[in-house]
Amino acid sequence: MTAVPEVQKTSIATLPPARGPKRFETIMRVTLERSNLLKSLNHVHRVVERRNTIPILSNVLLRAGDGRLQLKATDLDLEITEATPAEIGQAGATTVPAHLLYDIVRKLPDGSEVELSTNGENTAMSVSSGRSKFSLQCLPETDFPDLTAGTFSHGFDLPAPQLKMLIDRTQFAISTEETRYYLNGIYLHTIEGEGTLSLRAVATDGHRLARAEVEAPMGSEGMPGIIIPRKTVGEVQKLVDNPELTVRVEISDAKIRLSLGDIVMTSKLIDGTFPDYQRVIPAGNDKQMTIDCAEFARAVDRVSTISSERGRAVKLSIADGQLTLTVHNPDSGSAVEELHVGYEADPLDIGFNARYLLDITNQLAGSQAVFMLADPGSPTLIHDMAGDAALYVLMPMRV
Amino acid sequence: MKDAPSATAEPDDDDVERRDDGRKIVHVDMDAFFASVEQRDDPALRGLPVAVGGSAARGVVAAASYEARVFGVRSAMPSVTARRRCPDLIFVKSRFDVYRSVSNQIREIFAEFTDLIEPLSLDEAYLDVTENKQGIPHASAVALEVRKRIKEVTGLNASAGISYNKFLAKMASDLNKPNGQAVITPAMGPAFVADLPVKKFHGVGPATARRMEAHGLLTGRDLRDKPLGWLREHFGKSGQWYYRISRGIDHRPVQSHRERKSVGSEDTFSQDIADLAPACAELGKLAAKVWESCEAKGLSGRTVTVKVKYNDFRQITRRSTQPGPLRSASELEDAAVALLAPLYPFERSVRLLGVTVSTFDRPDTAVPELHEQLSLW
Repeated sequence: MTAVPEVQKTSIATLPPARGPKRFETIMRVTLERSNLLKSLNHVHRVVERRNTIPILSNVLLRAGDGRLQLKATDLDLEITEATPAEIGQAGATTVPAHLLYDIVRKLPDGSEVELSTNGENTAMSVSSGRSKFSLQCLPETDFPDLTAGTFSHGFDLPAPQLKMLIDRTQFAISTEETRYYLNGIYLHTIEGEGTLSLRAVATDGHRLARAEVEAPMGSEGMPGIIIPRKTVGEVQKLVDNPELTVRVEISDAKIRLSLGDIVMTSKLIDGTFPDYQRVIPAGNDKQMTIDCAEFARAVDRVSTISSERGRAVKLSIADGQLTLTVHNPDSGSAVEELHVGYEADPLDIGFNARYLLDITNQLAGSQAVFMLADPGSPTLIHDMAGDAALYVLMPMRV
Repeated sequence: MKDAPSATAEPDDDDVERRDDGRKIVHVDMDAFFASVEQRDDPALRGLPVAVGGSAARGVVAAASYEARVFGVRSAMPSVTARRRCPDLIFVKSRFDVYRSVSNQIREIFAEFTDLIEPLSLDEAYLDVTENKQGIPHASAVALEVRKRIKEVTGLNASAGISYNKFLAKMASDLNKPNGQAVITPAMGPAFVADLPVKKFHGVGPATARRMEAHGLLTGRDLRDKPLGWLREHFGKSGQWYYRISRGIDHRPVQSHRERKSVGSEDTFSQDIADLAPACAELGKLAAKVWESCEAKGLSGRTVTVKVKYNDFRQITRRSTQPGPLRSASELEDAAVALLAPLYPFERSVRLLGVTVSTFDRPDTAVPELHEQLSLW
């Protein structure tokens, strides 16, 4: 509860100059297409937590000016701003409950225009469209937190498809265990190898690890290794679908900023040390199994139908070009499936969590993948045969 | 399965009415235990008002001698209040290792009579003496003998309650305190509970008592007048229990091996804490203590609870459950800090912090993973 007066205290200090003498400036009036407003709200409102102890964090900041309406939302760790074309009647700014505004705009008719205007005291904002009119309570924009302060030491441009690939290939392996908070994100860093510099993304939860890389873009040289939090990763992933887009990435020790067209995301980074992941990527695994990805994934999915919380393991028995998948669940039954694979090494039995196998096969881009195996108690390396340089490490289960 | 009558199905009303199941239960309660041990060991304290506990600004009375109780000094009372009520009160520092060893002596005495012993704390226990080792026919005689042996071995007085179930035995031990005993026979039971205020009943806390009072239920008699269906409707599953207990019926067995549900520790600070760093440091100390205690008992838990009491005495708890058992004191500390951190900035300064570990994995209750997932690290 004291956090609230805390925020208000700072605002009282800054309010008089902002609101007193230039009172007329805080009145805002803006008209825009419902579809544009909805699209932007859809992007920014997700950041806003449903339950907030600090009232202003439930709000979205609206700032009208220069032919645009800028929207901004934050949870204090992540901030998203987006600008959308608008007809400005009176430049100004205010904040209103984000989810409420989103729900209202969502229910307005397709193709309609929306007018947003605040009253003279900036205590209420009306949302008018056709015959509908809503009045929402406002909080002063001067109370709205700003994450954008601070400078960035490194910056580079990355085509959206590359950023999307880095995220898609690794995101599933991010840990959700909060005690090892430094694993709750993607570790993004540059690494020198064979004369070229790569930009690499790594995620692990201690059971499996995913690694993907692209050629390091100009400007990324010497950047600090950073851990991008899970929530930020998830939001970025939703915004990088446009293959034409180039994303501007700026980095400091504590923050990352991504500019995606009209959208700017600023996020705090996880303040921790990512473990030395190179150590757990096996180099000497000599038993090579080549699989058809789609066939393998379907088979694993089928046999794992029988598995339960208590026994999620699927046993892989590999010998002479043949792979036998077995699931045995004492509570319900068992399942066996055989498929042809490329394998010439000594026979091997090894168990894996079926869910983990499927998480990986879901990411395999090529039609074939290679498992590099050692023994039933050591990490297995999985290479995608498609050339996007992703690799996966998976620890077995004892079966 | 559902249609078949089974032993575990809810007992029907016939069973509910069966108030006496032929058991003989003794509740033994040491008189002013900690204070009596101090007076025993230091003759200068005898006959004087003594409080065990810290006399410091925020100390709490752990036990008060009968001389002190005359002034209204009670256990769990802030030392400041106790001092105000009894200016001559002598504060003695607690010596838990001594109390624990005396408690062990007492349990050895219990074991001379029965193996069905359920200790409630260092100074209280239930004994099921229906079939006692000495073949004494009357439970009152067993209680007398137990108290005599306690006096011989430890020099301390104990009181006892004798009845046909745990609830009434405990009620009875208060009737002739100190250094006395009382019996509630099956014939006396229903009349005894009829006059008891509802809040005296086992399982009725302040909140339930308020809800009962709202329905005009003030005594056992009021409860007894309500049909079982009505009680179930208003109090859910507990309705059955209230129905029985208001008739003096309590079938809970004396459990010699009570499962430990949690291990915890807490500390009230001499000065309130306002910042996160010192609060985390205190959590670290508590976590280390709790971890040590868990290890000593061979328990591995998955749930961590952090308790925070603000300086206006409002108390909140935050808990989280890990997928697997905690593996080290530092993991416990990390989990505790992760629970505390979101509370900062604190609403008010923090007066007390506590750390508790629960959800112990037991071989008989834990659903074992058939296969062990190996880790990269």
